[in-house]
Amino acid sequence: MMIPLNWVVGLGGALFAIGAVGVLVRKNPLIMFMAAEMMWNAAALVFVAYARSFHQMSGQVMAFIIIGTAAAEVGIGLAIIVAAFHHRHRLDIDEVSQLRG
Amino acid sequence: MTLALWPEYAVVLGVLATMLAGMVSRERTIWGYWTTLAALAASGVFTIILWASGSLPRSLLHGGLSIDAFSMAVNGLVLVAAAGALLIGWNDRRYGGDFPILVLLALLGMMVLGMANNFIALFIGIEMLSLPLYILAASGGEGLSTEAGLKYLLLGAFSSGTLLFGLALLYGAAGTMVITAVVSPHLILPLAGAGLALTLVGLIFKLGIVPFHMWIPDVYEGSPLPVTTYMAFGTKVGAAAILMRFLFFGFSLASGWWGPAIGYLAVLTMIAGNLIALAQKDMKRLLAYSGIANAGYLLVGIAAHNMLGAQALLFYLLPYGLSILAAFAVLAFVAGDEESVSLDQLTGLYQRSPGLAAGMAVAFLSLAGIPLTGGFVGKFYLLQAAWAAHEPGLAVGLVVAAMIGLAAYIRPLQRSFSAVDGTPAPIRWPLAGAIVLVISVIGTIGLGVYPAPVVHIVNHSAAFYWLH
Repeated sequence: MMIPLNWVVGLGGALFAIGAVGVLVRKNPLIMFMAAEMMWNAAALVFVAYARSFHQMSGQVMAFIIIGTAAAEVGIGLAIIVAAFHHRHRLDIDEVSQLRG
Repeated sequence: MTLALWPEYAVVLGVLATMLAGMVSRERTIWGYWTTLAALAASGVFTIILWASGSLPRSLLHGGLSIDAFSMAVNGLVLVAAAGALLIGWNDRRYGGDFPILVLLALLGMMVLGMANNFIALFIGIEMLSLPLYILAASGGEGLSTEAGLKYLLLGAFSSGTLLFGLALLYGAAGTMVITAVVSPHLILPLAGAGLALTLVGLIFKLGIVPFHMWIPDVYEGSPLPVTTYMAFGTKVGAAAILMRFLFFGFSLASGWWGPAIGYLAVLTMIAGNLIALAQKDMKRLLAYSGIANAGYLLVGIAAHNMLGAQALLFYLLPYGLSILAAFAVLAFVAGDEESVSLDQLTGLYQRSPGLAAGMAVAFLSLAGIPLTGGFVGKFYLLQAAWAAHEPGLAVGLVVAAMIGLAAYIRPLQRSFSAVDGTPAPIRWPLAGAIVLVISVIGTIGLGVYPAPVVHIVNHSAAFYWLH
């Protein structure tokens, strides 16, 4: 049985919204980063769903590229988070506030 | 291997050579800087050969990359940005052997943004530009720099997510990834509207337009000085180039969807950026808000949505970038071993080094838009474009913002030309930074006095662009 396209896109939208809200309300940079990755994965899901319904390969390729880039970003991101917090022993974005935006 | 991609191949080979140089000798990082400089020079030469060869425009990867006069102009601009940043941070022990490699990688991303013509190339360009810059922003050691890197990373990941989801919806609405083919009678409208909005938010985030600008001052202040220079010039060129290609190529027929929004954002950004710059005490933060305001000026060229706007935007990037290079070169000299300069540290700069004070005066007067500098000519063209587009609101906003900006830029100048008691400490001029300062000051004045050659190149790039 085929899952209707709209359901998959709806799921993608929901994942995207959860991710966006997560970045905006959570204080722990690891969780914020995870939520941002969730937004990326929501986009990858939507790309794959449309690619299947259009019978095209380009959306699938895009999904692969998103996953690969996300892996690179996680590598860099975790290194920066560890560097920023290894002498604090606590993860809270409010404590990282020497710079006033 | 087609000739059309040789500027990019040169950069890739430069990355490999620089990595090898770092492995051969860990102590002598200077080799890596020389190979990087050679790669930049080779890439520049290939860009000029390609420009002169008459084999353009070329379309590669089923329309995914469009190599044309516009992408050549972007190549030239980002090469200047990379060379400037590299020379300002020339063989500085604080940044280590990784600095030139990451500069080259980000450069590659900017070049891809100049020629991206489908969503895949757009996304890869944005990420190749951002990922090295996250590392560079955090490369200045513990404290402020890692904090800047962390903020840049989190907000960058968030904006990339928004951009990606917007692209996914646009793909669903249009059934194609190629930017030039997106707007067609088969477009599903509500979906395309949502996709366009999310994509624009993502791109505008990268450019630093006002509702999404809050990361810029923090990241600029915390990053090492050469990295801030690179972000202020190169990132703006890349983001403006892709925004222009995306809107002018992809949504030229649907300008009613985005034109008014971009126009309002432009006015808001110009005025808010310059107003907040008035209150800054740290020079890097002042230049960060100046960068925000200048991103607003760039948006005027896009909002005008005519050929004059495209030409004015491309032209404005050069005097803006040269002024930024000159200003940051002066700051790097004054800062010495420190990472930033406060307004008070500039007091008496004229007595410590008249040359530096003069260079800074040229840079800031150009950013403010005083006649006989490139900044004035650039703003004049933008004004002309806004006028030709029958958008008097844009023109008025630009003039008001330039007036506020003048007040913001006069303060550091007034400080540096005021006298102090006692014998001031002289300032050392590192050779590489001095080259950047002299060339960018000459370029800034040259563009103000005799802009014709650059105008000719820019008109060619943008005119071709419009025929698509």
